[in-house]
Amino acid sequence: MATSAGTTPSQGLHRRFKGCSKIGEYEMMRKLGEGTFGEVHQARHKVTGSIYALKKILMHNEKDGFPITALREIKLLKMLSHDNVLRLEEMAVERPKAEGRKRAILYMVTPYMDHDLSGLLDNPDVRFQEAQIKCYMLQLFKGLQYLHDSHILHRDMKAANLLINNRGRLQIADFGLARHYDEAVPQRGRGNGDAKREYTTLVVTRWYRPPELLLQLRRYTPAIDMWGAGCVFGEMFKRKPILAGQSDIHQAQIIFEMVGSPNETSMPGWDELPGAEPIRAFPPHTGNITQRFRELSPVGLSLMKDLMRLDWRKRINAIDAIDHPYFKEQPLPMREEDIPHFADSHELDRRNARGQKQALPPAPAGGTVGGGPNGEYTGSGPPPQGWQNGAGRYGGPQDRGPPGVDRAPRGGYDRRPPPYEHRPPPPPPPGEQRRPNWGNGTDRHNNSLPAPPPDGRHALPPVPRYGPNDGDRRRGPPAAGGGDVYIPSYGADGPRRSREPDDRAREDRPRHGSRDSGNSREGYTDERADRGRGYRDRDRDRGNDSRNFGRERRDGRTRSRSPDRRDRDRDRDRRGGGDRDTEVYRRR
Amino acid sequence: MQPSPLANPLATVAQLETPGSQLDRIPPDLEDSAHFAGARLTQAAGILLRLPQEVVAQAIVVFMRFWVGPEGGSLAEFGAEQVSAASLYLTTKLSAYPKSARSLINVYAYLASLPTTCIGLEQLKGKMPETCYFVTEGTYERRRTTLFTTEQRILRTLGFNVHVNLPYTLCITYLQALDIFTHPRAPELAKRAIAHLNTALLSPQFLYLTHQPPALATAAIYLAAREVGIKMPECEWWEVFDTDREELGFLCVGMLSLEGFAQGERDKWEGKKCPMSVEDMEAEVKRRREVDG
Repeated sequence: MATSAGTTPSQGLHRRFKGCSKIGEYEMMRKLGEGTFGEVHQARHKVTGSIYALKKILMHNEKDGFPITALREIKLLKMLSHDNVLRLEEMAVERPKAEGRKRAILYMVTPYMDHDLSGLLDNPDVRFQEAQIKCYMLQLFKGLQYLHDSHILHRDMKAANLLINNRGRLQIADFGLARHYDEAVPQRGRGNGDAKREYTTLVVTRWYRPPELLLQLRRYTPAIDMWGAGCVFGEMFKRKPILAGQSDIHQAQIIFEMVGSPNETSMPGWDELPGAEPIRAFPPHTGNITQRFRELSPVGLSLMKDLMRLDWRKRINAIDAIDHPYFKEQPLPMREEDIPHFADSHELDRRNARGQKQALPPAPAGGTVGGGPNGEYTGSGPPPQGWQNGAGRYGGPQDRGPPGVDRAPRGGYDRRPPPYEHRPPPPPPPGEQRRPNWGNGTDRHNNSLPAPPPDGRHALPPVPRYGPNDGDRRRGPPAAGGGDVYIPSYGADGPRRSREPDDRAREDRPRHGSRDSGNSREGYTDERADRGRGYRDRDRDRGNDSRNFGRERRDGRTRSRSPDRRDRDRDRDRRGGGDRDTEVYRRR
Repeated sequence: MQPSPLANPLATVAQLETPGSQLDRIPPDLEDSAHFAGARLTQAAGILLRLPQEVVAQAIVVFMRFWVGPEGGSLAEFGAEQVSAASLYLTTKLSAYPKSARSLINVYAYLASLPTTCIGLEQLKGKMPETCYFVTEGTYERRRTTLFTTEQRILRTLGFNVHVNLPYTLCITYLQALDIFTHPRAPELAKRAIAHLNTALLSPQFLYLTHQPPALATAAIYLAAREVGIKMPECEWWEVFDTDREELGFLCVGMLSLEGFAQGERDKWEGKKCPMSVEDMEAEVKRRREVDG
């Protein structure tokens, strides 16, 4: 909507639209992160001098055009405006210049945040005081309240997605998995309500995934984000993820060990959920949450228990969490401006601090990722082998993301590959060195290399139980390994890549029944009719003459548009009536 | 900043004064024709794809946004048809009713096989011989590439402002607020109001880009009430819906003028097609120049 909060007055009914700004308006400063997905840069706006983070969206040979996940994220972010939600300032475009590059590169421009919570907790120099934790949790709840009230489920709540700046501000980021929530929003004192519609269960990074999702509840509610907030709450005390399951089944197991086994009182209806079967075999637990969180006051513990409630209907909602007595007892939440500054915990700095550890070679396919059976792995050696659906990458000490999450040793901004940005970028300009491989699968970017074992995206068969129509044919999620029997693994694709298309497949398409009939991707062959020449084959019939159309008229124009047009025209001339396909491509 | 959920980003006067097409010396009447035909094409394709009107309307607004301003698309560079297809594709992708590129391309091939660019419901009911709209694999590949590149250009041109707030639900809400539904002929009024909103989508004046949904809904109700002959409150009721008299008057004139415009278009393009591609547009411009001497 309002594209640039900085320059556009955007109250009420007086809004304007303008196109993307040009990347030339920004001065690139340094790389904040890099990995499979491309890059995040810190940049200064040349006019205002403000500092931003620029996240590149790479698109190459996307099968369905502009990646839907990116589009959704951008659209959602454009509609949101809250102090505790990362703001999308605008989109910046880098027009194709070099011969080898055909399409524009788009950047998402967001305010620059100094840290992410995950990286901050990993920094041994940083100690949180309880008052500070309260301040962050309050901000998190306010952000969640806003999101849920705006009918949005974040669906990827975790420490790595919470950005923090040196002014004590916390913001929720990464809306690649978020979606519109079609139900009534949570009301004060009424938990998180009920959902009438079904959504895909293939969401939320495993370590932060609530029990109802592990049990395959399709009609989930904002309560799933609240569980994640509970995990983050605990993590701020423990400085490591509190529920680091090695597989989905193990995740369920450690959840029940902590909060007690599900029964008709603690989790009514759990028995009827599709994923309940393997749970029945678990030994009963009474839960050890009280012992585990001895550092918490009784009131703090009660908030923790409210957030980690098995019954998703009764789990506390964000509105009530904000009002929880925990935030009214001593020590009171710190004010944002009182929070101490931390040394930058950014990837490159952190990497330098860690010395040579970052240069580790990529793990073999199906390898492991940092973290231990119960999250106790501290990165002082290779982690234990044998996880079924890890990201297949060596994580290192900084890797606090769970398996299945592409998280290399890095700090803020470098969280994991967003779902879109997974295509190889254009070949580097001649003379440019290939980027170093940070053990994160960047090799894949080089087309000349063989299939990418480090990424783990090798030929695993799609999992048939992904739904009626073979689930995701585009990127079949690798089959789950031995111990991971009841919930399909995300496999090495990283959770979002394999989840999101399926999300669409399962949520968007089937439920529209007849509307979609004959028009779904599966149905198109039937739409084809007999042989014959299609309509004006404009691309084929186009000659040199027509390609120059409008060009001479544009000469001497006064408007400032389209340096790319000139380039295109030049290219066009140079190429003469060359390769038709390239020509068509280039034209548009 | 809390954006109003009822508001759309609007085009500025400067943007409306200098559309990309005119800077490329496309005659203004031809530009209007192409926008009108493109919007109708989008509507027709939406019907064939069995999309809800909500989605179609969003696609048309996206289509219209694309042409606005000096940085906007130009008909010398983009055909109305390709932009229509990409707008619809983009909008369905974000909606609850995603359509495959294949479906889009097939539907547009079918519509292109029709003998006219003034596509009405009659044309959609008839059946064309299947040989007219067959898409070969090669053609499909090329059109898909075009579709995707155009899609990206639209996103860039719009600065990703693809969200569109529509006046339809507001219109119903306003009717309820006016207590119209107690009237026996209220359904007729509501139908007319919705029809005006649908028609306004096609306006070469870009009514949806110059006025906010509340004003559009109010004007549609005002016109519909006059046509159906239902008496509205004596007071200036439109003020309640954020619309002043001047804006209401402007919109009413704009909406009413569409009928004449559409008739004119039908006469103008009778027996031929409005240029919907860059090549056709070029040929038409050339032809006119020759005619003019």
